[in-house]
Amino acid sequence: MSFSRFVFQKDAKIAVILNLIDPGIGGVLLAGKRGTGKSTLARAATRLLGRGVPCVQVPLNATEDALLGSVDIEEAIRTGKKVTAPGLLSRAAGGVLYIDDVNLMSPELLNLILDAQSRPPTSELQSVPRSCHPFAFVLIASMNHEEGSLSAHVMDRFGLCAVFDGTVDQGARFRILKRNTSTADRDSKFFAPDRNLGRRILEARSLLGRVEISDEMRARIANLCLEAGIAGHRGDITLQRAAAAWAAARGDMRVGEEHISRALPLVLIHRTRTPSAFHPPGSPENNTPDHNGQDTQDEQKPPQDIRPPGEQPEDEKGNSGDESPLISESRQGQSREEVFPVGEPFKPRRFILKKDRMERKASGRRTKTKFSGKGGRYVKSVLKRRDNDVAVDATLRAAAPWQKWRGRRTNLIIEKEDLRYRQRERTMGHLVIFVLDCSGSMGVKKRMIETKGAVMSLLVDCYHKKDKVSVIAFRKNAADLVLPPTSSVQLASRLLQDLPAGGKTPLAAALLTTYQLIRQTAARNPHARCLAIVITDGRANQALSNLPVREEIANCARELARLGNADYVVLDTEDKSGFMRADLASDLALMLEADYFTTDDLKAEYLTQIAQRAKHQAG
Amino acid sequence: MIFPFTAIVGQEQMKLGLVLNVIDPTVGGLLVMGEKGTGKSTAVRALAELLPDIEVSAGCLFHCDPESSTLCTSCTAKLAGQATLGREKKKMRVVELPLGITEDRLIGTLDIEHALKHGEKRFDPGILADANRNFLYVDEVNLLDDHIIDLLLDSAAMGNNVVEREGVSFSHPARFILVGTMNPEEGDLRPQLLDRFGLCVRVDSIADLDQRVEIFRRRSAFDLDPDDFLRAWAPEQQTLSERIIAARRSLRQVEWTDEILRKVVEVTLAAQVDGHRPDIVIMRAARARAALEGHRDITKEDIRETAHLALSHRMRRLPFEEPGAGQRKLESVLANIL
Repeated sequence: MSFSRFVFQKDAKIAVILNLIDPGIGGVLLAGKRGTGKSTLARAATRLLGRGVPCVQVPLNATEDALLGSVDIEEAIRTGKKVTAPGLLSRAAGGVLYIDDVNLMSPELLNLILDAQSRPPTSELQSVPRSCHPFAFVLIASMNHEEGSLSAHVMDRFGLCAVFDGTVDQGARFRILKRNTSTADRDSKFFAPDRNLGRRILEARSLLGRVEISDEMRARIANLCLEAGIAGHRGDITLQRAAAAWAAARGDMRVGEEHISRALPLVLIHRTRTPSAFHPPGSPENNTPDHNGQDTQDEQKPPQDIRPPGEQPEDEKGNSGDESPLISESRQGQSREEVFPVGEPFKPRRFILKKDRMERKASGRRTKTKFSGKGGRYVKSVLKRRDNDVAVDATLRAAAPWQKWRGRRTNLIIEKEDLRYRQRERTMGHLVIFVLDCSGSMGVKKRMIETKGAVMSLLVDCYHKKDKVSVIAFRKNAADLVLPPTSSVQLASRLLQDLPAGGKTPLAAALLTTYQLIRQTAARNPHARCLAIVITDGRANQALSNLPVREEIANCARELARLGNADYVVLDTEDKSGFMRADLASDLALMLEADYFTTDDLKAEYLTQIAQRAKHQAG
Repeated sequence: MIFPFTAIVGQEQMKLGLVLNVIDPTVGGLLVMGEKGTGKSTAVRALAELLPDIEVSAGCLFHCDPESSTLCTSCTAKLAGQATLGREKKKMRVVELPLGITEDRLIGTLDIEHALKHGEKRFDPGILADANRNFLYVDEVNLLDDHIIDLLLDSAAMGNNVVEREGVSFSHPARFILVGTMNPEEGDLRPQLLDRFGLCVRVDSIADLDQRVEIFRRRSAFDLDPDDFLRAWAPEQQTLSERIIAARRSLRQVEWTDEILRKVVEVTLAAQVDGHRPDIVIMRAARARAALEGHRDITKEDIRETAHLALSHRMRRLPFEEPGAGQRKLESVLANIL
């Protein structure tokens, strides 16, 4: 498929072109569901600049040395000198670097790539680039956000982002299919438009240095970014550059309103929204019928000013600048919704993550690696000894330059100091997922206050243990991943303050979202373990499908219980003193094979015993 | 001795799915769902046996196609030094992917022994190298580690295995016919991964008494005297083999109307499947079927027969629903539109 014959996805095409004109924009992230043509477009883009321009693909299997370059073993042995072979990053210099499924890539490697790519000219924060800066490469990455998103911080480092709209009408779908089944593409004349486009991109590149921007436009840019409430200044800089590149592409020598507005959505989309908002408007995810009929106005609401981090909201509803859909709903001032303050935190006695099923499996694997030196995901080599897990390649590289000196005849001479060990991707540790019931029943007798107190206490515990945390909140007719996995407990606690309560209890939806998150986590890091803490009174009354609510929950719970990398705790928030108690949450705990506590248990000395018992079982 | 493909009783959908992939490997593989002992691996082996030899670049570890423009790093180097690549014939094989496979063994890695003995870097090919232009059979694909499946499907989609690790930088074509099996009761496959399999069929043990009797009658005849059995089935085998070869040759001549494309789009829209891959897969499979039937044009029947195979695993469902829960909906969609 040639770039010019790619149908639709105009945003994505423009985002690519802008980056090819000005690589300083900082790369483009193509996000979309499966089968929407992300990779096809990215691959077509890599050919746009024509032959001779390097195009390097980073496969998922890449190791650190492959990216950065490493000692050339053969040369080193022959000459006895440390000769470095270039890595992927330097091979991409001046060209295009392309990553498919970037969200599945090891975060460590991705950071290396982003570091190499983004060297913003810091002295020019406030001015438009007058010339094309020497750059490393144009970064084009694709991801399917159904398989887990990138952290907000990493996303921000991509200059532009375009979301592939999967919802095309019949006519469009027909055209796409027609293009894809056409045999004409093999004909070289169909690449002629691509060659033209490539030429135009190079022309625009040469114009770029002369494109001017007025102070007025600059102020406009700063204002737009401020209004959108995006953190940091990368958005401003990127918007400036992207608008200038678009002006150059159109042959305009001054940046105008129209250039800015063309570039704006590409700059904002990944900086202002939560990953769950990635679904383009109109997609089925956003169209679920809403019983209260109020959620859907979210999109039209003017963005709020950004609140400096750490500052607490002054009142319960309203001024928070947080971006989660849940919170923006709360601004609508629904009468039945309330935001409860966080109850007094307490110090939960060492809350030990129970059942070491996965750990033991992993250690079993580790024993095996002693002999075969294989298994897991090998990311880089280190000097520090790890389980006899020798990184042969790195060891050879370390030994290579010495062979001449050591007087090698045939076999290589490896000394103890040459030994390098493999560092495997097992860095994530635990992910603690808080699955929080925010339905109306939680508002009764201010149970929410107490519950928030309990969650806060657990969060503090997670902070001490350096766990990653994630929050799924469920109420009305949906469960939302309001906080994707993060190491920032601070972020979680701020979010907790603002969580409103009210509406129905879609427990099944919450379990489903939990299931998806655990699967995603496992896909990225096979060794990660999850602990899902389900905080609810168990009074589910909102189903996902046509099945009865209870049956659906049983189905979901069974699937969850089957997952090998997760453990569960159910925290029952029902008021046990009243005669209305139904003890539904304890049923859920049984189905999940979970540990079960009431909020009171959690405070008590009792927890220590439970934790110790769990530890005993695991050992 | 391998049981002849044409002597396999029933399981018509699975056989069709395999044959379509053999005619046009870009269909994208086949996922077979069902219990053990329903003849899944027998069928794949039997089909490989029936197919003509492939022509490969002489001495190439990756069975590069000398006609193709994508070659492995060593064939590319070879071609730089000489005008043409040497050729030899090879039998198509069924390469199995064991469950406990490591990343290294799958994609290949540094040849450690060679490096230690001679101080030279050499690429030690993995399973993906063996699989190039062969069948790659993955039993219980749902039980593979997720990151292994990611790598596998990544290469399958690219048709290329790019290795950048442990000081080795190597790439070779990895175009294989991916056949996966899974028993849905033993765990699910992410929808994103299901989507990467072109076609999917369900196999069940055959309930029909006569057919069951016929199955073990043939099997015991084969076990008793394989040579005799093969001789008896040789004409059938020959016919199918020739049909496949003819279909491969006529594949590029098959034509279709906009009306057919429109029908495909109507079907996929009504079935509410995501993305454009299902549309494209249906067209490719339908084209292969038309070629197999010896037609010059794709017919509605081709669409009906292949849409089934292409859509059943792509229907939206909740994780606890069996893949194939949308079967009834699919039936009615197809009945309405075609």
